[in-house]
Amino acid sequence: MDPGVDGKHPIVTQRHYTHPYVLAGVIPLLFFLVFYFYPLFGIFTKSFLQGFPQDLKVDLSFLNQFFGSRRMLNIIWFTFWQAGVSTLITLACALPCAFVMSHYRFKGKKALTVLSAIPFVLPAVVVAAALEASFGKTGWLAFLNIRHPLAMIFLAHLFYNFSVMLRILTSYWTALQGEIREAAAMLGAGPLKGFIHITLPLLMPAIWAAILLVFIFCFSSFGIILILGGPSYSTIEAEIYRQAAHLFNLPLAAFLSLIQILFTLALMALYTAFSKQAVRYTPKADQTVLKRPSKKREKAVVAATAGFIILLCVLPLLALAAKSLVHNGNISLIFYQAIFENTSDSIFHIPPFQAVRFSFIFAASALGIAMVTGICAALFISYSDREMPKYITAFFDPIFMLPLSTSAVTLGFGIIITLDKPPLNLRTSALLVPMVHALVGFPFVLRAILPALRSIPSDIREAASTLGASPVRVFTAIDLPLMARALVAGAVFAFTISLGEFGATIFTASPHTPTIPLAIYRFLGQPGAMNYGQAMAISTILMVITAIGFVLIETISTRDPKGF
Amino acid sequence: MENELVLKQISKKGENGEIYLDRLDLSLPKGSKLSVLGPSGSGKTTLLRMIAGLETPDIGDILFRGKSIVHIPPHKRKFGMMFQEYALFPHLNVFHNIAFGLKMKGASNAEQTDAVQKMLALTGLEGFENRRVDELSGGERQRVALARTLAPGPLLLMLDEPLSALDRVLRKRLLTQLTDILSQLQITTIFVTHDHEEAFAAGSHIILMDKGRIVQQGSPKDLIDNPANDWVKEFMA
Repeated sequence: MDPGVDGKHPIVTQRHYTHPYVLAGVIPLLFFLVFYFYPLFGIFTKSFLQGFPQDLKVDLSFLNQFFGSRRMLNIIWFTFWQAGVSTLITLACALPCAFVMSHYRFKGKKALTVLSAIPFVLPAVVVAAALEASFGKTGWLAFLNIRHPLAMIFLAHLFYNFSVMLRILTSYWTALQGEIREAAAMLGAGPLKGFIHITLPLLMPAIWAAILLVFIFCFSSFGIILILGGPSYSTIEAEIYRQAAHLFNLPLAAFLSLIQILFTLALMALYTAFSKQAVRYTPKADQTVLKRPSKKREKAVVAATAGFIILLCVLPLLALAAKSLVHNGNISLIFYQAIFENTSDSIFHIPPFQAVRFSFIFAASALGIAMVTGICAALFISYSDREMPKYITAFFDPIFMLPLSTSAVTLGFGIIITLDKPPLNLRTSALLVPMVHALVGFPFVLRAILPALRSIPSDIREAASTLGASPVRVFTAIDLPLMARALVAGAVFAFTISLGEFGATIFTASPHTPTIPLAIYRFLGQPGAMNYGQAMAISTILMVITAIGFVLIETISTRDPKGF
Repeated sequence: MENELVLKQISKKGENGEIYLDRLDLSLPKGSKLSVLGPSGSGKTTLLRMIAGLETPDIGDILFRGKSIVHIPPHKRKFGMMFQEYALFPHLNVFHNIAFGLKMKGASNAEQTDAVQKMLALTGLEGFENRRVDELSGGERQRVALARTLAPGPLLLMLDEPLSALDRVLRKRLLTQLTDILSQLQITTIFVTHDHEEAFAAGSHIILMDKGRIVQQGSPKDLIDNPANDWVKEFMA
């Protein structure tokens, strides 16, 4: 060490100091290592390396089972086929609506947009229940006689994904209404030529992105297939569950999980590429000068579109609520009472309101875990954005989004086959379900918080530190209050996602601690008007909570961010 | 000299009754270079969009070469317009951006290539044919936008704040380049700007607008030497 100018006090040449925001990154990283990567690794070893690590042997007999079985190949084919058809139906409905929504402005458009988005945030089991309430044997639209499981699956996927498609297409198409179309017109392109040469090529990446996203959702659809598809229609997701939970064929289930992961990651990569191109193609100056419908024909088209959207997105929800309130032709609260009664003949052997209680306890715990890990990850990423080499963010940001592209069934399955023995045995721990729910909600929390954190100008922080605030004080006095609104949005996400989570919960929740979606699933699977009615009632409760949460997020995030 | 473009009593109101243009009259001789000057919100861009056909007047008439064009859609007017943010087509390269208007006219590939080469030479963009437009600098984008507007040989040229998207240093340099190119053309030109330096450099005739009306018109010298009122005097200062 340099003895310094006075010969007594050394000059410190290397300062070992790690910013607390870097240390914060360790928490989500550990969380991911234990609850994401370790289970995924477990799936891999379970399928290819049985007995790992003690008496390792490579047993590939499941490959024979897989490739030798017509049923397995049919399942793979059916998974793609149903996702493809569902996506095409959704596109066919969303594209004309997106045209109207991107060309006209009218009263109630904002409300219509929010309303149409509600089905997408609903848990799959609620969607399945709503479809039952609309098209089932005693449903509102039973006279239409759409009871074939395939038709129900397609309708449920349409109902579920219509708003995603509509939102993506409308936002990009709206941005193309400004100068770029006018420039084409000034250069001699009429409406048709302008559409063919300018609008369509510019919109194509967004259309592909929307198609891929909806395809991925339908590809990994689990609750809807399980409930509406019946035993004859199985997808990869449903089959993982069947093989693991009913047939205990873990190697085959693990292999199916690997296939599922591979396909979703590939599709996700394609989706990312197309959305990047879509963003590049979107004009910066989107002076969204949309016209009001003035001619009779235009007004009729707008009214028809609005009517169609309301019919598609709201009618099944109304049917669900109505079914929960009608018993033997009379308005009654009997199904709601039954949920909260301690009936001995309950199919759980414990009163169903316990499921509500467990759901809320799990959701509150998941919220806590997801918020702590999510905030830490957001602080780390936004710090690495500013102060660290670019590749750090480029590496960690996608990693933190991985749970989004991994199916919940795969996550749940991976966790029960790895975290059931030392060194970490959580099989009977009450923390297991909240941990899994937190992992599923984590990307949403991160995506809610990160933009708010990134938008805080760094000179505000620098000003605070020159005024004597330590990094911890900068966090509590500057960052925390400035991202308060985003934190609320993140918390609502974490809570409602946990309440509705089904795919991972069906693996990880113990029979003594069922959640609301599990209760709905079991009620729907039992015969009898009372079970059916209770399924409707408990679905309605979940629907109302989720819808309120979503509207809350919408209101928080659309307010002026400069309003602090 | 014969008037090429005549605007008669043009008025336009917004949805909430705000006045964009108020009974505006204007006549442009063939080959003239007009600058439309005014603060933002004075109606100058609305005026330009009206002539282009991107908006229709509530009342009044627009005549081009003696014929009313109010009911002719923009893509059939054969006018050229250069947009404030350029509105280049992001999925097309420089060549295809410039050739777009010719393609819409049904020009052959050889004609397109020929015209594009001429435009590239005129704007000093030789060798840029295959570049993607999002790889270009602000000044290059501006020149591509100009080349694209000029390539189909428009009957009337309109420029909406063509320099406002550039920084100050670049703006000065490109103003000289732009006015050089414009002075080589015989075509009637309307140049919209809020900057009087640009207006004086680009136009031999100036109209000064405020609140949808023409406050004063004349040569640059008239506006400076004989301001019609205090507002003009202050705006020109």
